[in-house]
Amino acid sequence: MFIITCPFCGERDQSEFSAGGEAHIVRPKQPTELSDDEWADFLFMRKNIKGVQFERWNHAHGCRKWFNVIRDTSNDKIHAVYKMGEKPPTK
Amino acid sequence: MLNINYPKIEKKEFPNLQLNLVEPIIKLNLRGKSREFFTKIGKILSIMLPTEANSSATIKNISALWLSPDEWMVYGRDIDKNLKLSLDSEISKLNLGSVTDVSDQWVLINLKGKNVFEVLSKGSPFDFNKFKNTNNVVVQTLLNHIDVILHHNDTNNVNLFVRKSFSEHLWLWINDSSSFL
Repeated sequence: MFIITCPFCGERDQSEFSAGGEAHIVRPKQPTELSDDEWADFLFMRKNIKGVQFERWNHAHGCRKWFNVIRDTSNDKIHAVYKMGEKPPTK
Repeated sequence: MLNINYPKIEKKEFPNLQLNLVEPIIKLNLRGKSREFFTKIGKILSIMLPTEANSSATIKNISALWLSPDEWMVYGRDIDKNLKLSLDSEISKLNLGSVTDVSDQWVLINLKGKNVFEVLSKGSPFDFNKFKNTNNVVVQTLLNHIDVILHHNDTNNVNLFVRKSFSEHLWLWINDSSSFL
């Protein structure tokens, strides 16, 4: 259990949120030009690293908005939270 | 077909806690972003939609609750058919935003008394410390794993909105929890 600061509602318990997987995965501009392997890579392959990871989260039981979180998966420490469309903080 | 006899909720009293069903009452869900949307809502309902997170605005018998940056719930006894028709014609039909009547989707239960936050804290992950000392604040959270909207409209007076299908179950849970106060 940990606390996530929703960029819209403020600090809330993790149970109010749902995780949406890795963030900043860009959809290919021309999917038809990709090979099956490249397409599968885009659809299914995720880093799932142990350490600092960029993730998408949804405040499912609150404002229902999506946002990005930089989280250390080894200890659940949250380094930053930023809105969709915003660039990740540099530090 | 909607069962108008559901949920079966009767007024209950516990030590320093009163529970009461506040129905029927009109509830509208409003969504929009543009400046025109805000102006039209202000003119029709005579209320400015709150833009600050987790806040609410109340004028006479109409309250507007902030739900997300572009979503509000308006409820009150003074909302009549004409008001709804004007909202439909001035907002929905002009594509300025959306107006949805959610009166039958949500059930409003009023909790009043010194022990309100004792009961709510039993089943919610939300920290009520700041919330209970501030009036006119709103929170969407979980209570006994059920989505609820809580409107702290007066000291130790909370309006709780719960989805109709969950309302009887939550009502029984609140009753059960209150009996252990």
